[in-house]
Amino acid sequence: MSDDYLRKPFSLAPPPTVDEPQPTATTNYTPATSTFSSAPVSPYLNYDSRFLQQAQPEFIFPEGANKQRGRFELAFSQIGTSVMIGGGIGGLAGVYNGIKVTNALNQTGKLRRTQLINHVMKQGSGTANTLGTLAVLYSACGVLLQYVRDQDDNVNTIIAGSATGLLYKSTAGLRKCALGGAIGLGISSLYCLYLLAQESNNTNSSPKFL
Amino acid sequence: MEEYARDPCPYRIVDDCGGAFAMGCIGGGVFQAIKGFRNAPSGLNKRLIGSVAAIKTRSPVIAGNFAIWGGMFSTIDCTLVHIRKKEDPWNSIISGAATGGILAARNGIPAMAGSAIIGGVLLALIEGVGILFTRISADQFKNPSPPTEDPAALGDPVNNFTFGPSNNKHYQ
Repeated sequence: MSDDYLRKPFSLAPPPTVDEPQPTATTNYTPATSTFSSAPVSPYLNYDSRFLQQAQPEFIFPEGANKQRGRFELAFSQIGTSVMIGGGIGGLAGVYNGIKVTNALNQTGKLRRTQLINHVMKQGSGTANTLGTLAVLYSACGVLLQYVRDQDDNVNTIIAGSATGLLYKSTAGLRKCALGGAIGLGISSLYCLYLLAQESNNTNSSPKFL
Repeated sequence: MEEYARDPCPYRIVDDCGGAFAMGCIGGGVFQAIKGFRNAPSGLNKRLIGSVAAIKTRSPVIAGNFAIWGGMFSTIDCTLVHIRKKEDPWNSIISGAATGGILAARNGIPAMAGSAIIGGVLLALIEGVGILFTRISADQFKNPSPPTEDPAALGDPVNNFTFGPSNNKHYQ
């Protein structure tokens, strides 16, 4: 079924076929009584097929609910994505460093292979853990803010980003703590600016808050 | 809190990895906080410092191990679903055993076998408990047996009820 019957005005009578240049047999509604003209059709079958919306999915949302997924639904996939990206970047850096070190030390054969694996595992897990911890802190702050403020917007993103930076560097001294907070604030505000720019470009698409 | 449903298969890996990391990070944080508090030298201030230090050093590592376990488990699970074309408890058990084996691959064959057995038994226990709970809760939703129906109550079969004009035709 094509979905252009949704755009036509609805009527129980068969639609006029004069303004349709396209083949009319496939797209136009033909009443069930015309195909089985002589025999009367059961009333359960005798209705306009436009009542059946098959072209687009139908969702029923509870009252007042918005279509977006909340931060809690996105949190796990965000954490997983950052862990995996961290693992990939760390692994690549581990390969690079491992080759450099083993070349410098003239290690070959089995020794070199084991050293390479060691480097990849160590750097990969280190970077993955760092990025994942940052993502956990960010998601926890975001989810908390969403429940406290009871809305999900750019302000949440900025506050959660700054709080993540502050928390992550909270034990390294005041200067570093402030620096971490500033970095988090900067990244999250850049991201929000990007979102706002995208939103003003095409007003139709709803923005997706990370 | 909104309904939390699992994603379809390839995306489930990322989701499970993240969920396991979050679980390990928060759970490991609590665990290491207690452990650091107990192991630190006496004095409340020193104990708090020791607790924070333990959280900082150990909980990301625990979280990373959890994440690797979850991601590997989910990957093998999805691969098995794709190969076997069905989802059943055996998938989880096999992928648990395989995950345990693969992650112990650098410790030698005996360690691999031990880890694989532990992983398989663990996952079999989890699946078994799940099935047990389903069985127990299924008894509560059992329908009462329907009353026996008397076809004579439906009336005369000749003058049956129709919607259209009453010419006794069968419409379908």
